Amino acid sequence: MSAPTRPVVVTGVGLVSALGDSAPELWQALAAGRSGISEITAFDTAGLSCRRGGSIDGFDPRETLGQANFRPLDRTGRLATVAAARALDDSGHGGADRGDRTDHAGEAEIGLVLGTMFGSVHTISEFDRRALVAGPQYAKPLDFANSVINAAAGQAAIWHHLTGVNGTISGGTTAGVQAIAYGADLVAGGRVDAVLAGGAEELCFESFLGFDRGGLTAGADDEPAAAVPFHARRRGFLPAEGAALLMLESEAAARSRGARVLAQVRGHATAFDPSRGRDPERAAATVERVARWALDSAGVAAEDVALLSASASGSPSGDRSEARGVASALCGRARELPVTAVKALLGEALGASGAFQTVAALGSLARGTAPGISGLDATDEGFPLPLAGPDERPVDPAGVALVVAVGLDGNVSALVISGGEDLGSGSP
Amino acid sequence: MTGGEGRVVVTGIGAITPVGAGRETVWRRLLDGTCGTGPVQSFDTSGYNVHQGGEVHGFRPEEHVATLDPARLPRASQLAVAAARMALTDAGLETVSSPPERCGVAMGTTSGEPREVEVLDDDLVAERLDEAGAGFIARYPCHVIAGNVAAELGFAGVNAMIPTACAAGNYAIAYALDALRSGRAELMLAGGADCFSRITYTGFARLGAISPDVCRPFDRNRKGMIPGEGAAVLVLEPLERALGRGATVYAEVAGYGLTCDAHHMTAADPEGAGGARAMEKALAESGLRPEEVSYISAHGTGTPTNDRQETIAMKRVFGEAARRVPISSVKSMLGHTMGAASAIEAAVCALAIHTGRIPPTIHLEEPDPECDLDYVPGESRELPVEVAMNNAYAFGGNNASVIFRRLRDGKSAP
Repeated sequence: MSAPTRPVVVTGVGLVSALGDSAPELWQALAAGRSGISEITAFDTAGLSCRRGGSIDGFDPRETLGQANFRPLDRTGRLATVAAARALDDSGHGGADRGDRTDHAGEAEIGLVLGTMFGSVHTISEFDRRALVAGPQYAKPLDFANSVINAAAGQAAIWHHLTGVNGTISGGTTAGVQAIAYGADLVAGGRVDAVLAGGAEELCFESFLGFDRGGLTAGADDEPAAAVPFHARRRGFLPAEGAALLMLESEAAARSRGARVLAQVRGHATAFDPSRGRDPERAAATVERVARWALDSAGVAAEDVALLSASASGSPSGDRSEARGVASALCGRARELPVTAVKALLGEALGASGAFQTVAALGSLARGTAPGISGLDATDEGFPLPLAGPDERPVDPAGVALVVAVGLDGNVSALVISGGEDLGSGSP
Repeated sequence: MTGGEGRVVVTGIGAITPVGAGRETVWRRLLDGTCGTGPVQSFDTSGYNVHQGGEVHGFRPEEHVATLDPARLPRASQLAVAAARMALTDAGLETVSSPPERCGVAMGTTSGEPREVEVLDDDLVAERLDEAGAGFIARYPCHVIAGNVAAELGFAGVNAMIPTACAAGNYAIAYALDALRSGRAELMLAGGADCFSRITYTGFARLGAISPDVCRPFDRNRKGMIPGEGAAVLVLEPLERALGRGATVYAEVAGYGLTCDAHHMTAADPEGAGGARAMEKALAESGLRPEEVSYISAHGTGTPTNDRQETIAMKRVFGEAARRVPISSVKSMLGHTMGAASAIEAAVCALAIHTGRIPPTIHLEEPDPECDLDYVPGESRELPVEVAMNNAYAFGGNNASVIFRRLRDGKSAP
C-alpha cells in the first residue's frame, strides 16, 4: 500500500530578498524591472573577475524577529529564520512569537524542508581558519554547531518551535525546487500536518571565490548582457542570496482552518544527467524528461502550461539545456510559451532560487501576467523558446506554471503548480 | 502497509567502516566485537587534548571505482562510490537491467566534502590567493556525493542529497522508500557517507565530546564519542521486483518517523519527547506495537547526555517492554561515522534480521543506573530478529527512526 496522497496547497509565503520582503513586493519589483544586483561590499572582491552579486544589504533580523540574541545564528540561519517567520505569519499559523509560547497544545505539527547548496561555508571556513591560525583550542564551539549543513533548518525550527520533520536537501541550484517537492510529498503522505518548504542561501566570500575561479560567474562588468538569462552574449551568473519558504499543507487542513489557498502543488519530478552537462544532448534530454515527468505526475498536458518560471541564470550551457529541453517537452506549446526568469534581476541565489522562481510563478498566475526577462534583447540563433524580452506577458490563470531548476552539475528538477481559488485576492 | 503493493525491501548492502569493508567482513567483525578506533593518523593531533578516531585505513578507491577517475574524487565521494558498487554487487546487480532513468540515488551526510574546505582554508591562511578556490565548486558542495555515485553508475533517475547531519542515513533511506512507493523509481541506492576531517574533529573536541580512549555507550564511565568515517549504501527495490529476479531479501523497510526537538542545536531534549515521537511515527506506519520490536540499534554515541536521554526516550515509547528488547550501539566499535552512521546501522538492522544475530555494545563494563536497559554488553547474541528499529539523532534536534522487518515467504512478519 502506498502512503495516502492528499492534494497539497500553498497557504503562505515568506521571503527575504534583495527585491523586497514579501511575495507581492518581489513580484512588483520583477515586473518593474528593478534589479537586486549591486557591487559587493560585504567582502573583498579584489583579484576576482566578478565583483557584483545579489546581496541583501542592510538585512536585519530584528525587524522581523524583534530584539533577541542572534549570535547563535549565522547569516544563512538568520535568512531562513526570518523567511520562516514571515511564511508562518502569512499562512495564519502564527508568526514571530510562535517560538516564545510555552503552550503548543493542540496546534499543528509543522515541519521544515530547507533547500541549500552550502548551508554556511563561510561559518565552516572561519571555524577552521581560526583553529589553523590560533590553534584548535581557540576554535569557537558555537560556530561548530552551525558548521553542519542542516544548521539553518535546525535554528529556524528552534526559533519557531517547528517539531515536525526537519529536512535539508542539497542539489546545488535545484535544492529549492527539490525541497518544495519533498515537502509536498511529506504532506501528501500524511507524515506532517504542514511543512515550510523552500530554500536559503547566503552570499559569502568562500563560495563566491569558488564560483569565480570555476569560471561560472558572469565575470567583469564590461558586458551588460553577461548575466542575462538566455541572452546570446551571456557568460555566467551573478551569485546572490536570500530565502523563500512556502507553507504547504493538505487542502483539507487548509479548508478546515479557513486558510487562504494560494496555489496547489500539482506534481514534480527530479532526475540526474550522468554526463553532468558535459554532453549537451544528454543535458537537454534530462531537462525534457524531467519536464514531461512533472507534467505527467500532475496529470496535465503541454497545452495546459501557462508559464515557464525558468532556471536560466546566464549560464552558457545551463540556459541552453533548459531552453532545448523544455521546448522538446512542450512541443508546439513552446512556440507561444510565456517565460519569466527571476535570476535576471535577483541573480543566482543557489538553494533559494527554486523557491523564488516558485513565488514568481504564483504571483504571475494570480495576476494573469508574468514579468518579462530584463535585459534580454538577443538570443542565440535557432533558440527554441519565444523570448520576448522585458515586457510583461499575459498568463492564463487557469493554466499551470512549470518551474524548472537546472543544476550546475547534473541535477534537474521541476514543479508544476496551479493557482488556488484565493489567488485572485492579489496576495501572493 | 501489509499489502503486496508498495512494499520495499533491502537486497544489497555495501559498507566501508573502521572495522573493514564489505558486508561479510563488516558483519563478522561487528559480531566479534572488533574495536575499529585508534590513534588518529589523518592529521597531527598534537595540538588537541584527545587523539582517538575511527578512521578507515588501507582503503584503495581504485579497487572499486570503475567509470570515474578515483584519484580525482574527494574522499567522502570515494567512500560513497565504493560502498555503492559493493551494494550493487552484493545485490547481484553488477549489471542493472532497469532503465537508468528509473534508478536513483539518495545519500545523507553531515559535512559533505569537508577536506575541500580545508584545502581552501590552507590556501587562504597561507595567502596563496592565486590558487585558492580552484576546483572548489566542482568538488566541495555536498551534493557532489550523490552526483558522483550516480555518475559512476550511470543512474539517471531521482537524485537527492540530504545533509541532515548524524541522522542523514536514515533520512536518505526514508526518502528512497517514498521514491519507490510512489513509483518515481524502481531501484534506489540509499545511504550515507562522511570522511574523517580536521574540522569535524576540532568541533567535537571543542565541545568536549570526544572520549580520550574508547567509546563506551551506556557505561557509567562513558567519556564521549569518537569521530569516525565511512559509508554505507543499501540497495532498495520493490518487493515484486526483488522476488521476480530471485534476489536475496535481507529485510523489508516497514516505515519511518522523522521529527525535530526544536530545542537545542547540539543537545537533545532532556525529556526525549522528539525522539519518542519519531519512534511512535515509525511504529504506527509499520503497523507494529512496541513489544513487537526484537532489536533496537541505538544512536548510542557514548556521550553522557545522549545515552541518558536516548534511554529516557526508549522508555517513553516502550514502557515495560523497554527492559526486554535488546539494544546495542555499534558506535562502540566504529566510533561515530557521522552521516554514514545511521546508514551503517540500517545495514546492521537488516543483517540482524537476516542472520538472527545482534552485535554487541563493546566497552560497556560498568552499568549506569540511569541507563538500565539491555544493551547487549560485550558479546554478540543469537536470537531471531523479526523487527529491528534504527534510531538516529542529530545536530539541529533531528530525530529519525526507521523500522525493518523480516520477510517471510514474500510476506511480512506478523
